Amino acid sequence: MHGSADRSNETALIRAAQGGDAEAFEQLVRSYDQSVLRMALNLLHSPEDARDIYQEAFLRVYKKLPQFRFDCAFSTWLYRIVANLCLDQIRKRKVRKEEAAAVTTPSGEMDRFQFLPEQRADVDPQRQLMSSEVSERINAVLDKLTPRERLVFEMRHYQGMRLRAIGESLGVTEEAAKNCLFRATQKMRAALGDFL
Amino acid sequence: MTCQEVQLNLSLYLYGELDFAQEEAFERHLEGCALCERALNREKEWHAAAYAERQDVSFELLSECRRSLRTALRSGRSPELRTSWWARFIPTGFSATRWSVQIAAASFLVFAGFTAARWMDNGRLAPGSGSGFARMGLLDMSNAHVREIEPAGQNGVRIIIDRVQQQEVTGNLDDDTVRQWVLAAMQDPSDPGIRVNSVEILQHQSGPDVRDALINTAKTDSNAAVRIKALEGLRQFAADAATRRAVEFVLKHDNNADVRAEAIDILVPADRPAPAMTPDVLTTLQDILNSEQENDYVRARSLQVLRAMNISGPVY
Repeated sequence: MHGSADRSNETALIRAAQGGDAEAFEQLVRSYDQSVLRMALNLLHSPEDARDIYQEAFLRVYKKLPQFRFDCAFSTWLYRIVANLCLDQIRKRKVRKEEAAAVTTPSGEMDRFQFLPEQRADVDPQRQLMSSEVSERINAVLDKLTPRERLVFEMRHYQGMRLRAIGESLGVTEEAAKNCLFRATQKMRAALGDFL
Repeated sequence: MTCQEVQLNLSLYLYGELDFAQEEAFERHLEGCALCERALNREKEWHAAAYAERQDVSFELLSECRRSLRTALRSGRSPELRTSWWARFIPTGFSATRWSVQIAAASFLVFAGFTAARWMDNGRLAPGSGSGFARMGLLDMSNAHVREIEPAGQNGVRIIIDRVQQQEVTGNLDDDTVRQWVLAAMQDPSDPGIRVNSVEILQHQSGPDVRDALINTAKTDSNAAVRIKALEGLRQFAADAATRRAVEFVLKHDNNADVRAEAIDILVPADRPAPAMTPDVLTTLQDILNSEQENDYVRARSLQVLRAMNISGPVY
């Protein structure tokens, strides 16, 4: 749990939620939902997909909570559900065709680039160019990582999870999670190390 | 550690994922190697640049997700959920029609409205003056966090705010309140630095509360350095049965070799004759000898203990 309540408090909340206490379930959701949503958003880069993952993950948690036997930390169990949903979604995308440049709106078909935010005029253009190149390069490398490398990197770099917890969430050993992170950081270093 | 090993482990070092011994070796190498220091700085730079790409969640999206989840849970996808606190006031077996519930809810709202109006008339909160928030000090958002915000009726809004208040507590460790704060800080999951400091502060304190907290930390803390500190603190309780059981548990189950080395030193101090061992510990020591993964120091100490007790262990 993220600082606000200790482990015993979380156990009490889980037990109450397992007994059907809606308020306890809501508190449990609120302890984790920001990081679940952030993880989905970072991995999928789409608020709509992130919202779907959020909803599906917590509905699954709700449905399966009575079977939760405290064999592992609640967070590990929750992130296992979220990780599997995100991996499925990333894999689905990989097999999909490239997105079309045109999007359909209520007023007809329009160019996707019309929806990109305009650049701010008051920012130093050279700095902005550099920063946007770095940003592009980072996102390009992230896109080239395998789904599992992407997920492990997300969990360690952005969510701050320990490798042991990541391994447990993905159903692999800590060593396998470490190797995955190792490969991801090697790729990031190769692409960014000399660029910055 | 060689330059190559250091440069392969740069990210793991920054993530705090090297074990205690590796981290020591890494830092020792870094002190005398400008090349690796530069490599570490470059690694920090790309870490920071990648971190800056992190997308944060907007309150709108979070609120929307929470609302949809609540709706989904209440709309029959989850029939076993008690729908609200309201349901708790309905006796079991009471079969309320939709209308009777609505009338009851409306009556409650009217009652709440009258009560609120009376409260405001008494001058506790001026309605509509625009000064209500300011008078309550709610406009200072520096120590507050909006947990939820959603529309509530026409032109209305419902906001749930969490407030954080900083408070300084100074005092002696004999003071119960101070002691409780330090014990609580030992459990702070967000910061291993705070946990290490708390363990260090309590290391020379006695009492069952300190012993239990140290045992808990030694067995469950996610950070190996904190677990080692907790074991150091448990040395003073080494003769106590509960402590020995906990340290035996650590020796058997902890996945960090340095933590296990500390555990074996507590169970069997190197400079004293080995005390009586439970069969479980003896089995663990024999398992350690059989394991090819085990740290050399832990194996050597295990062999030493088993030989001292005239128990034969496998030769490796």
